[in-house]
Parts: sequence; structure tokens; C-alpha cells
Amino acid sequence: MELRFFEIYRSSEYVLLLVQGVANSLSLTVLAGISGFIFATILAGTRYFKIPLLRQICTCFVEFTRNTPLIVQLFFFAFGLPILLGYQWPFWAHALLALTLNFSAYFSEILRAGFQSIEDGQKEAALSLGISPTVLFFKIIFPQAVSKTFPSLNSQFIFLFLTTGIISEIGVVDLTQAGIFIDSRTFRSFEVFITLTVLYIFLSIFLKLLLSILQKYFFRWRFVA
Amino acid sequence: MKNTFIELFGKPEGIVLFQLLEATQFTIYLSLIAFTGGGILALVLAFMATVHNRVSNITSKTYIWFFQSTPLLMLLFLFGLGIPRLLGVNVNIWLAASVALVLYSSAYIGEVWRGSIESIPKSQWEAGEALGLSFFPIFFLIILPQAIRIAIAPTVGFMVQIVKGTSLAYIIGFHDLMSIGKRWANAPVTGTEPYVIFPLMALIYFSLCFPLSQLSQWLERKTKMAS
Repeated sequence: MELRFFEIYRSSEYVLLLVQGVANSLSLTVLAGISGFIFATILAGTRYFKIPLLRQICTCFVEFTRNTPLIVQLFFFAFGLPILLGYQWPFWAHALLALTLNFSAYFSEILRAGFQSIEDGQKEAALSLGISPTVLFFKIIFPQAVSKTFPSLNSQFIFLFLTTGIISEIGVVDLTQAGIFIDSRTFRSFEVFITLTVLYIFLSIFLKLLLSILQKYFFRWRFVA
Repeated sequence: MKNTFIELFGKPEGIVLFQLLEATQFTIYLSLIAFTGGGILALVLAFMATVHNRVSNITSKTYIWFFQSTPLLMLLFLFGLGIPRLLGVNVNIWLAASVALVLYSSAYIGEVWRGSIESIPKSQWEAGEALGLSFFPIFFLIILPQAIRIAIAPTVGFMVQIVKGTSLAYIIGFHDLMSIGKRWANAPVTGTEPYVIFPLMALIYFSLCFPLSQLSQWLERKTKMAS
């Protein structure tokens, strides 16, 4: 028993692979986070305005997504759906689709709580002033709900980031896949996965910091008054 | 049992369904181990965070922070591959999967319980001290019963995360619903195409998780009404 971390960092190939893995993991998570947030807004908005039928469909989608493992969803979008509908995308696109839908379900549940926390008086006041529902939603309800729920959205995003490692299972060269490759070459499993763990912790701290800086920038108006 | 399934659904659908449901029991066992072990560790963590001792407070906080920022997948790889290879021993797959999931769930449940103990007003502690009670009676007889009421809804909610988390254990070779399903999805048998198997597996996971999350929401409404 001895620790041989140098077997990882002395090879430029492995270091390069790890850097590539970090870049891929981060970019896919951030992309999925952004598109998931947009989709979550649509989901939560549909439920906020109580649009019949669509609202029930959104609720079913959110509940089903939140109560099934990401890996089953991922396999369905990567292997099931392409065969059924006869299309072929690159691995990362399948992963991005699955992650986006998964993220959106969690975000929409938080946003919905945010929408509910805003008193109905604001909605009634705006509607009685003749403000259109679109303006009401995007200028009054949405900014307040997001600013209120931003800390929850932030920690949920970090939690979801830590689950993205399983996209390696469908062949995306993310950080986990890079680790598995290095492990299969060097057989230094312990050292490799400790390195990955440390990298994941650093990345989650980095993302959390980035989001809190963004929070200060986006919601300046909350702190001014 | 197996024959009933074959009679009802035919071949191969009956066999597949039977095997999936049979493998689901291991998913349930692993979830129960993870929840029980995680719960016991979480109680220790919450206790360590509450006592008036800086070292134990910091230890508990660091432990929770570390295991909350580590992906479950990495824990599984470390306990399923890393440590056995480092020590040159064979580790039982049940042990590896259980340890990884227990550590993972203990951090999250511990955080929930610590939060609910801290949410009990300071005056409760002071009232206990004024009555001449020492730390242990105050903690176990006054604070904990109140904290459990707050903690129960999020704890049940986290059980959903545990059940979903067990689906990753197949990566280190654990034999459960996920591994059986994946094997059937890869098999070149008509009737077991990936677009049939994966929704079916999702449905089984859903029927395990959905009652738990509904129960959690119901408990949350009930505790809100009570306070």
C-alpha cells in the first residue's frame, strides 16, 4: 500500500485529459443549467397562470422527472428515443437533452414556490391597472420570484452538478470519464478517484462563488432599497 | 410466480417483468440499509454539532460539508474500486455500496437534523437550565422531540434521493433493478428494446419514490398547520 499520485500528473496525456474533462463537465452543466432554467420558467409559468390541460401535463412531467433516477432518463434519451424516432445525435447532445429536462423539473418546483410566495394583491393591482399578463409575469412576478429563490436555485444547481458524472456512462468525455480512462490505464484507482473528488469539490465551490457574484449583479435593486 | 407472469404477459415480456420486479427487492434493501445507517450517523453528527465543544462542532460541519460536495459516484468508485485496490483486498459489493450510500445519506440527513435542532428557540434551552436540568435531559427530552417534528418531512423527502441514488450502485457491479434492466435493454431480444425497458424501469422507480415524496409533502403541510 503506497500512494502514487505522480503516476497521474507526470503524464501530460492524463493531465490534458483531465483538463478536457473539466471543460466538458463545466460547459455541459452550465448549458444545461441555462436551458433548464428557461424551460423551468415555462413549466412554472404554465402552472402559475393555471392554463388548463397544459398545467396538468407540466405537473405530471415535473413529478415523473423528480421521482425517477437521472441515469434511467439519460439511458432513455440516449438509447431508447433515438431508436424509436430514428435519429442519431452525438453523445453530448443526448446528455444535454437529458440534463436539461432533469434540471428543469427541479428548478420549476423551486420557481413555483417563489411564485406562490408573492401576494395575489400584486397580480390583482397590475391587472386592474391594465397591465398585460405578459408584462405582469416578466416585469413583476418573475424578477421577484427569482431574487427570492436564488439561494435555493444556487444550491440545487450545485447538487445537480454533482450528479452529472453519470453522463460518462453514455460515452461523453466528462471529468468522470477522464478518470475512468486514466484508472483503466494506470490501475491507481484510489489516487485517480481522490483526484476527481478534489476536482469536483473545487468546481462546485467555483460555481457557487460565480453564482453568488451573479446574484449580487442581477439583483442590485433588491439591496439598494 | 414466474409462470404466472409468463402466462399473463407472454414471452419474453413476462420473464423481463418478473426479473425486474425480483431485482427491485435489492434496490429496496440497499435503500433501507443506506437510510438506517445514514440516520444513525446523522444523529451522531447532529449531536456533535449541538454540544458545547468547538472541536466536535467543527468536525461535524467539516464532515457534512465534505460528503455533501462529493459526488455519490465518486464515493462508489472510491469504496468499490479505489480502496480495495489500494489495500489489495477483495471487498464485498454489498459492503462497498452500503458504505458509500451510508456516508452520502448521513451528510444530508445530518444537515437536516442539525438545522431543525438549531431552529428550536434558545429559550427552550434556557428554560431547561432554569429548571436545573443538565445537558443530556434537555437535549433528549426537550429539544429532540420538538426537532423531530420539524425534521420528519425533509427526512422522508430525502429518502427519495436515496432510492434514486441506489441506481448508481450498478456501476461497481451491484446487482439491482438498474443492472438487470440495462442487461435486458442491451439484449437483442424483440420486446426488450431500450425504449420499452427504460420507461418500464422508470415506472418501477417512480412507484417507489412517488409515495415517499407525496408523504413528505403531506407531512410538511401537517407540521405547517400545527405550528
